Amino acid sequence: MAAPGPGEYFSVGSHVSCLTCLGQQLQGEVVAFDYQSKMLTLKCASSSGKPNLNDVILINLAYVSDVDIIHDRTETPPPLASLNVSKLANRARTEKEDKLSQAYAISAGVSVEGQQLFQTIHKTIKDCKWQEKNIIVMDDVVISPPYQVDNCRGKEGSALSHVRKIVEKHFRDVESQKSMQRSQAQQTQKDSTLSS
Amino acid sequence: MSMKAGGNRGKPGGGNAAGAAASGAGGSGGGRPNLGRGRHSGKGPAAVIFNGVYANMRMVHVLTSVVGTKCELKVKNGAVYEGVFKTYGPECDLVLDAAHRKSPEPSLGPRKEDIVDSIIFKASDVVVVTFKDVDLNFARKVSSDTDNFTDASVSGRINGEHKEKDLEPWDGGDTHNSDSLESLDTDVSNGWDPNDMFKYNEEKYGVLSTYDSSLSTYTVPLERDDSEEFQKREARAAQLAEEIEASATYKARVALENDERSEEEKYTAVVRGERETHMLSRENKYIPPGQRNREAMSWGAGRQNSPRLGQSSAGASASRPGPHDYSPNSGPDQRVVNGGPPRMSPKSQRTPRAHRVPPSRISSVSTGVDLGSHNPPGEVSAAPPTRSSSSGGTWSSVVSGAHRPRSPRQNNMGRASPGSSSLSSPQTGTAPVETVATLTLASSPAAAASPAPNMVASPSGDAKECRVQETRQSSPSANNDNMKPLDNSPSITRPLCKGPPSMAPDHRKQIDNLKQFSVDFRLQPSSNPDPAFDQMMTKPVRDPSDKPKDLALDKASAVGRDGPEQGAAGLAAGSSGAVPASSSSATATSKPGSPAAPSPSPSAPDQKRGGQDVISQGVQTTATMGGPKHEEKEEKKEAVQDQVRKSTLNPNANEFKPRFNAQPKPANTPTPPRPQGQPSPSIVVQQPPAVYGCFPQMYPLTPVSPGVQPIFWPSSEKSIIWKSPAVYQVQMPHMAVSQSKPYRTGKVPNMPQQRSDQHHPPGTPTMMHPATAAGPPIVAQNPVYSAQYFTCSPQQFTSQPLVQQMPHYQSQAQHMFSPVMQSSARMMGPPTHGQPGLVSSSTTQYPEQTHTMYVSQGPMPQQYPHPNATLHPHPQHPQPSATPTGQSHQGGPPQHGGPQSHPAASPVQHPQHQQAAAAAAAAAAQALHLSNAPPQQQLYSALAPTPPSMTPNPQSPQASFPSAQQTVYIHPQQVQHGYNPSHMAHVQQVGRCLNVCERPGIRTSNLSAF
Repeated sequence: MAAPGPGEYFSVGSHVSCLTCLGQQLQGEVVAFDYQSKMLTLKCASSSGKPNLNDVILINLAYVSDVDIIHDRTETPPPLASLNVSKLANRARTEKEDKLSQAYAISAGVSVEGQQLFQTIHKTIKDCKWQEKNIIVMDDVVISPPYQVDNCRGKEGSALSHVRKIVEKHFRDVESQKSMQRSQAQQTQKDSTLSS
Repeated sequence: MSMKAGGNRGKPGGGNAAGAAASGAGGSGGGRPNLGRGRHSGKGPAAVIFNGVYANMRMVHVLTSVVGTKCELKVKNGAVYEGVFKTYGPECDLVLDAAHRKSPEPSLGPRKEDIVDSIIFKASDVVVVTFKDVDLNFARKVSSDTDNFTDASVSGRINGEHKEKDLEPWDGGDTHNSDSLESLDTDVSNGWDPNDMFKYNEEKYGVLSTYDSSLSTYTVPLERDDSEEFQKREARAAQLAEEIEASATYKARVALENDERSEEEKYTAVVRGERETHMLSRENKYIPPGQRNREAMSWGAGRQNSPRLGQSSAGASASRPGPHDYSPNSGPDQRVVNGGPPRMSPKSQRTPRAHRVPPSRISSVSTGVDLGSHNPPGEVSAAPPTRSSSSGGTWSSVVSGAHRPRSPRQNNMGRASPGSSSLSSPQTGTAPVETVATLTLASSPAAAASPAPNMVASPSGDAKECRVQETRQSSPSANNDNMKPLDNSPSITRPLCKGPPSMAPDHRKQIDNLKQFSVDFRLQPSSNPDPAFDQMMTKPVRDPSDKPKDLALDKASAVGRDGPEQGAAGLAAGSSGAVPASSSSATATSKPGSPAAPSPSPSAPDQKRGGQDVISQGVQTTATMGGPKHEEKEEKKEAVQDQVRKSTLNPNANEFKPRFNAQPKPANTPTPPRPQGQPSPSIVVQQPPAVYGCFPQMYPLTPVSPGVQPIFWPSSEKSIIWKSPAVYQVQMPHMAVSQSKPYRTGKVPNMPQQRSDQHHPPGTPTMMHPATAAGPPIVAQNPVYSAQYFTCSPQQFTSQPLVQQMPHYQSQAQHMFSPVMQSSARMMGPPTHGQPGLVSSSTTQYPEQTHTMYVSQGPMPQQYPHPNATLHPHPQHPQPSATPTGQSHQGGPPQHGGPQSHPAASPVQHPQHQQAAAAAAAAAAQALHLSNAPPQQQLYSALAPTPPSMTPNPQSPQASFPSAQQTVYIHPQQVQHGYNPSHMAHVQQVGRCLNVCERPGIRTSNLSAF
């Protein structure tokens, strides 16, 4: 790596803004910059507003203009922590599987409601999957279209009742969301896109 | 932009490679477990040169910490792809798994057909990548060192979304009388006195204790008598006790128990007031019965006292000083005093023995000398303290600490005295030898003759103080030794270095002299007879004389154990005394004479030759010392290696060596996967391209996995690369090792290990042979290789890395590159296409291949919908735009045209095909069937530029050449795996290789489906 001289390029911790060739304005704190590849990594506040999360942006400076350094770094960047690689690998795998699973459902023609419900259940119970258009939870409970509480079938037991609660709450939340949507159309839309 | 899709692969481990690599690059020390085998302390990572982004620690860290998150990637043409960030390459190429092109209108999600298993984006195509809602602390590792309950971790660990937690000091308020707390802190008593307990129970509950302090129920009182037998046994017992207590493990445990600092003191971030200051409580800490007894009990003879004194003081002091150890502030002197004796004590005793054994006769004479010498040398006596303070400071912690040294080196040093414990390390091994030699020298009258011997003697002599002699003369010596050892420790580890470091400690005067000495080392190794040294010499003599008693007692034990012990003792004494340079020189001289000398001998010559060099290269020298021993023994290539090493000038190289050995194992396990891929022989050759720092390493790997390679190469430049990095980084430590070493050396050691580890029995045997058979030829060749590789760049070099890496790669390759693999498989399948091996052979071709691999964005989705569709007809290529994508950034556009026509087959292959049509056929056959081993080899040899592979038996897989070995190795595996079925499957799966080149405006996609 060609170590850029101090102050010559972007120093970690400084805040930078730039405009991409696609017209997107970006701004954030420099986390890393690689001179050779012209790659700049910024850390921004999370777009969803969650305090413990960040958005990370990797920018190819070859396609960027109007680079401004808003203010330079004030303190030396913190040391790098070790990373748990297996954890990362697992995350990559599960994310991929989730996405493929979701895609499977979509291509199977599952309704939007069904997909949303699946997402909701999946947040609570990892062991759920699609079987055609049915949602199979813990290999025990089957939720078939139209995915209402009454459509939950399986052995009577805690599992079934638990899933029913989740389904029930899901639709309750969806309803409340819809009501909110009327008042704040835009925001909800944003959320839904995010949630999707 | 280039996309590549493979059949479905669901390899869970896929992410590992990238992650591991990244983490390694992060350098934060969170290596994989595998890595752990090597030295953690390692400068290893630093030694390895990373290419591109991998050299940028922060970039690596950030990119790695977002692995596994969803991201949106915008490419130049404005298209947006969404996928799971998988890994990245040195050129900052990015890999998205389960990626799909995002449609402009928000929709619920991609259809299954829209999702591409993984896409490789060249950095030059990427405009912006956005990772939303990333938890950057997700993968942060909590090291075991940092307790989970430290303030920092407590405040850092938040369940849910809280704002930063402010820590407040706890205030019990007035309701709690502070006395209760104070009383706890100030209570000096060590819990209840047993008698109080008995009394209390009796009064309160009417329970009468049957406790008998003699424990007659459990044991029998020792009957003491004056018989010789008893005394012998007693002495033996005492000695055993000393040994045990001198052992590093014992000390470590005691230190653990008696570490005075409370948990809070160790970990808390809360600053307390004065309250903490009272150390009284420490006095009350639990004292192991053994130690208590010592102080109170007197076993028998007065002489015991001396050892015990040393020990007891050592034990108690050592254990208690805990705080001292940790706090640098504590005065060095104290440490030395406290700590020094404890450890030393055992050693000291031994040392005398050692002296005695050989020199007993001399002892009488020497003693006389000592006495005389002692008085005058007031300086000398004074010296020890100074030493301790000056140099001792650094090492003092080790000694006093009973605690284990924090740094590995220190451990070695500290343990050196125990000798046996540290023997495992090469250094220690050498040390004992040296010490022995030194001892003999010291004891011998020769001391006067050679300054060096004097030096050795000096340590013991310094320490000796007539007053000390009291009970035991040995004790004083022990103390001295103790003192010295600190200084010596460094010297022990590095014979070469000894001179300078040890010098300092003694006297300031001496320091100057020593400096000169170090500078002039060659000229006057022995010439610098300092007065101090002479004095020193006399002293050692005395020790032997003083300890006649011990000798008698020890004889029995001494003979057996003392081997090591003496070594240790000798080390302590010699080194301690040591005067750095002189001692080293002395040892060197002595060594040659002794049979044991071999290992040390190399160092000695070095010293003589280039004292300066040695000094400057302290590390290297040590490495040579240690490394050579192991390796040389194995390979007998000492001279060559040394040269290589020297030439390398890479100090780090030495350290790596140990890793070397370690590497093979990990690699082996992964190797099994190889079978799938067809072996590409040529890989080795390709290494030359210096361009890709990381690549070279990767390349080597490629050869190993035949199937993988072909694909690898094509895409390798960019697409494949990242994975390699992952691999690379992981391996890095290993790599470093390999680099330093010449090929063969590395290989040979590796091979054996691999054998053990290898899963495949068949493979193993082959492997074995190469090592043995190839060994000799390799040796000769080594220089050549080393020269080539080394000269270019450490990274490039190494065939060794190849071997080692190979395994990793393969394993990873499967995971990571599974798609690639498949594609390669496809390639393989159709005979028409060049064999994988062929591809590998030409470096230049690679770029071309890469291009071919790349698929245009537009077409991708379309094609991919049927990722699994194995049976696409070949000629789909020209689906979208007929124009070959000129844009292949790196690759020349023109090339594309050619390759495109042949889907999977890279242009490179074609030429090769023609040449080796037969070979290709053979390869195909191989892929499908086992038979090919011979053909492959041949191919390989032809392809491989390296003479070694050629020279050895083309036929025999055993060929010394690493690549050759690997290739050979592969064969068996393939056979075993039943490659055929799988292979077929791959072929079917094969996805098509899509080569798309997007120009800014226009996309052209070339699909090749088999």
